Amino acid sequence: MTTLDMPTSAKDFDVNAVVRSDRVHGSVYTSPEIFRREMDTIFKTGWVYVAHESEVSETGDYLTRMIGSDPVVVVRGKDGVVRVLLNRCTHRANKLCNADKGNANSFRCPYHGWTFNNTGALQGVPMREGYGVAFEEVRAELGLANAPRVDSYGGFVFASLAADGISLREHLGGVTHAIDRLLNLAPDRRIDLRANWMKHRHHANWKMVVENNVDGYHALFTHASVYDAIKPAKVSHVPAKVDVLVRDIGGGHSEIDYSEEYRKLDEEFVWYGRIPRAKLAGYVDALEKAYGPDQAHHALVVGPPHTLIWPNLFLAEMNVMFVEPQAPDRTIAYTTAVLIPGQDDLNERTLRRSEGAMGPAGFLIADDGEIGMRNQAGLAAELPEWLILARGMDDDITDETGIINRDKSAETPQRGFYSQWASVVGGKAGCDDR
Amino acid sequence: MTVETQPESSPALRPLPDTDILSFLYLEARLADEGRYSEWESLWADDDETVLYRVPMHPDDDPRTTLAYINDNRRRIKSRVAQLNTGNRHSQTPPSVMRRVVSNSEVAGQVGDTVTVESNFALFEYRVRQRFWAGRVVHTVRRSPEGLRLIRKIVHLIDAGGPIDTLAFLI
Repeated sequence: MTTLDMPTSAKDFDVNAVVRSDRVHGSVYTSPEIFRREMDTIFKTGWVYVAHESEVSETGDYLTRMIGSDPVVVVRGKDGVVRVLLNRCTHRANKLCNADKGNANSFRCPYHGWTFNNTGALQGVPMREGYGVAFEEVRAELGLANAPRVDSYGGFVFASLAADGISLREHLGGVTHAIDRLLNLAPDRRIDLRANWMKHRHHANWKMVVENNVDGYHALFTHASVYDAIKPAKVSHVPAKVDVLVRDIGGGHSEIDYSEEYRKLDEEFVWYGRIPRAKLAGYVDALEKAYGPDQAHHALVVGPPHTLIWPNLFLAEMNVMFVEPQAPDRTIAYTTAVLIPGQDDLNERTLRRSEGAMGPAGFLIADDGEIGMRNQAGLAAELPEWLILARGMDDDITDETGIINRDKSAETPQRGFYSQWASVVGGKAGCDDR
Repeated sequence: MTVETQPESSPALRPLPDTDILSFLYLEARLADEGRYSEWESLWADDDETVLYRVPMHPDDDPRTTLAYINDNRRRIKSRVAQLNTGNRHSQTPPSVMRRVVSNSEVAGQVGDTVTVESNFALFEYRVRQRFWAGRVVHTVRRSPEGLRLIRKIVHLIDAGGPIDTLAFLI
């Protein structure tokens, strides 16, 4: 493990000792203290992606997820409101809901039989006379704890465990464009994320997993076996040959943006195996009916986003990935395909494409997982102390969309990620000192 | 909870596979274990559009609406093998050292010249650390003039519903 004299008290934590504008210290990937601090800051104070509305579309639909180290139940209550409840019986802390997903009017604790309705209110306590006259107080006080703030944008549901803070819209800032770009490919601006989540255990720090998603430098090397053996990349991964940008959108959000290159080609579905539009005639018709031929053509040319939404959500073109940090060197990546309601032909192709590329057996992601594991193994060497993220620093350009770099191999997205990391983990987000 | 003391019908015994079928399953297991990718690929039928190599997340998942960890048709099996054969598939460079036990094989169905065999399997994989993979494997094998050919292999991992490690080898 990379060591650094980590102060045990958060009051002494100096984020400048581990993050600088062009580099990060190895300990940010290995230190249990820093991992704990991330859980207490990023995941306890900020907005975190928890679910998609399609997954809880009916009253009583629920999912179990994690917000950092807190297990939660995301549930649509009988009043139609989506809540994020802490998955812990208020009596003796038994984990209340143990299924991945389902539909329920109420949750019953298996330990002493307490029941909570799907809005989180305490419903029933067996042998309640044991609480005497105080029972009504017990009932009122012992509803399930919940994330005080839940909000959504374009169907993506986010929650914050902190009562106060910036709004979701402020948190998302310019990255709403990426969600819009995805929804532009859906005739009624709705997508469906119910194709099941692949759950892939990465033996790497969660930041390695997410940073890699917006690293425009690695594909030629990490994924050479795909391009050599199976098919060439959709467009060249040699930066000088393409107009592909990387962008620090601000707030920790970042992306690789292929749209300029695709617009130059003015060809639809380059991002979808260059499939001829005739093979997806029903889908193209629906899109043209919804938006008109010009706007539909534009959406089909520029395609979906390749965008990281701070801290845990990755819009992976026609896939969605989110990560669950479990330990400094262990992360679960959840991946599913983006389905478009009513477009069965398209969806079946999307599922097969997703299986081909993504997840533990995917032609791409299995190798990203391997590289992440080797990164973690390499970090056992304590020297050099720093990982350098200076690539392209002199060519960064600030424009109205953020900080862009016209060389897709520039480490502009990672610099944006760590700028946000330093600001949040450094304590400006009101973390609770321990 | 009630305990059924008198089941309505006794569970049916299933026939054991013929020895040539068993030999074929063991050959398939050995070639996968030893990373003999092209030889393994040659076991698959080339002339059947229903060829399927599949590792679902849940046994009853419908591939038209849900994702699987692996859901390869014949063409994608070829791609998977081609990628492994580059020697540059990082997640299998070096390849896992593996041995699997295929056992409890029973004939689950027989239609014309094809037979479906269900077996339990336990796979011991060593790469950096040792892992165990286990589950039910369902092979559908066709007898043809040129010999036995694999039509379907469906692997139901016992931990398919939970997070799994990288699965880049042939399971």
